[in-house]
Amino acid sequence: MTDVQQEQATVARADVEDFLYHEAALLDEWRLEEWLDLFTEDAVYEIPATDLPGHVESDASRTYALVYDRRTLLEQRVIRLKKPTAHAEFPNSRTRRLLTNVRILGAAGNEVMVSANFIVFRGRNGRDVFYVGRYEYVLRRSSDGLKIRHRKAVLDQEALDPHGKISIIL
Amino acid sequence: MGIHSPLVIDDRERGLFRVHRSAFTSEEILALEREKIFSKAWLYIGHESELPKPNDFVTRRVGGRPVIFTRDRARKIRVLLNTCRHRGAEVCRLPSGNSKVFTCFYHGWAYDGTGRLVSVPDGGAYSESFDRGQLGLYQPRVESYRDFVFATFSDEAPALVDYLADARYFLDIIADQSANGMEIVAGTHYYSMNANWKLLMENSVDGYHALTVHQTYFEMMMNLGSTPPGVDGNRAIGRGIDLGNGHAVAMNPELGSPLMSPEILEEKQRWRASLAERFGEEHAYLIANVTRNMDIFPNFAIVDLGFGIQVRTMYPTAPGHTEIVGWQLVPGDASVAHKRYRLDNSLTFWGPAGMATPDDVEGLEQCQRGFAVKEVEWSDISRGMGRDTPPIVDELQMRVFWREWNARLTGESYQREGLPHDSSYLQAPSVNAGAASGKAK
Repeated sequence: MTDVQQEQATVARADVEDFLYHEAALLDEWRLEEWLDLFTEDAVYEIPATDLPGHVESDASRTYALVYDRRTLLEQRVIRLKKPTAHAEFPNSRTRRLLTNVRILGAAGNEVMVSANFIVFRGRNGRDVFYVGRYEYVLRRSSDGLKIRHRKAVLDQEALDPHGKISIIL
Repeated sequence: MGIHSPLVIDDRERGLFRVHRSAFTSEEILALEREKIFSKAWLYIGHESELPKPNDFVTRRVGGRPVIFTRDRARKIRVLLNTCRHRGAEVCRLPSGNSKVFTCFYHGWAYDGTGRLVSVPDGGAYSESFDRGQLGLYQPRVESYRDFVFATFSDEAPALVDYLADARYFLDIIADQSANGMEIVAGTHYYSMNANWKLLMENSVDGYHALTVHQTYFEMMMNLGSTPPGVDGNRAIGRGIDLGNGHAVAMNPELGSPLMSPEILEEKQRWRASLAERFGEEHAYLIANVTRNMDIFPNFAIVDLGFGIQVRTMYPTAPGHTEIVGWQLVPGDASVAHKRYRLDNSLTFWGPAGMATPDDVEGLEQCQRGFAVKEVEWSDISRGMGRDTPPIVDELQMRVFWREWNARLTGESYQREGLPHDSSYLQAPSVNAGAASGKAK
């Protein structure tokens, strides 16, 4: 395919699902450097505050979010999580990500908007917690496949209780 | 079981300070804390900026009680206990909003924003002794200092300014950072920990843990070109200060800014120049070139690291479980870019998904797990005991908290340690003028 054909090709939901399942597997296997390679250079990873779950339209960087990482910080987050001195994740948690209800919400230019529901299990130190919510992705089509331009995890929980923290990548 | 005696060993002669670990694990001690501390002390409710318009309200739990924090139609700040005087249901079930009236859905009793009972459906069936005037929503004593609103459920508590003692000065340093008021940012961090609440009060003013617990954070700063103080090996910097009544602060040189741009640097320099113009060089230095971690007894902490101001409360639901709320306070007159810089840095440090706070929570939960070892009865908080000018890596700040805590639980009196904080600044005209205008609201 030429670049132009690639650009015009629509993305099938099955392709998006394959991509998201691959991403989830990388995270569950703690292959974080490979996970980072899935992101564009202008990517953002965010988790809004739990009392602003509907904060979809406005600029989340003007609110006290739980996470708002641009690429530079995302790289630092991965560097940190691989160290034994990242105490909250040493030893690493066991995680298992269940993604369902994958929907393609729209497309604009070479980008496609996707949503999915999640349950993320985290087990560590004899305690199990579940994070429940919805992902919103902006995926960009490129010559080497899909890349993540924006990844937002919106939690349904009102408080991080009993979780206490989100020390894993959610 | 009974309560262990003593709970605190405060041996000035030998320079030893110990806390009995039942303080972190005992249900009886928690019950006593609820009675003698959370029902008696001044508790932080919220910041006036959270209620910009008449009839704005937010609901939250304070001292274990559901409260409505509201500004009535005459703009007066009120704290209404959120329980219907009829049969007990919460009369406001929304987290926030704007309402002239709070109607209990159970039987329809309704209260206005001043707490007055204004409607009782089919009210004709009550006797003459049924006095609507006495059945408004219960209102605890409420006082405000520089927009920080506190309430107490006790008639015996002193006036708030006297209770705050020298902590007032550090609230001034926070409040003076904006000419048009400080603002709580939308978005609240609600989280918890499986650890005793007092461990987080200790941790909030603990300079000793920074380089071990937050090593990865400091490495991140250095990766991004910023060198934090103390990493060169000289950790005996800054100053821990007893502010009276169980309040304490750890002051430290600037931490630096991990996420900085030339534009923000320039704006911060302009901001600092305007502070020097308003308050003089000394006060501007304290605001802009010094950081502060302050505990206000019993469960309120403010951490101002220059790149952001974390406001935090904590409350025990069990000896080993604590509900935590974190807010971010910014200068109202800062530019959008400056506010964003502060938010970026703040949530990267303090968020429960940030790069520092999760490791604090992990540390405190590890302590709580360790308390299962009943053979080890005491925790040691002796570091730097008896020094006149303890650096922040000493543990004066925690001893200040524990002495007040012990006095309230056991009735034992205590003597303060070290030099008293020099409070002559409270007479300084510029600062005093600011405080007076704040209180007049």
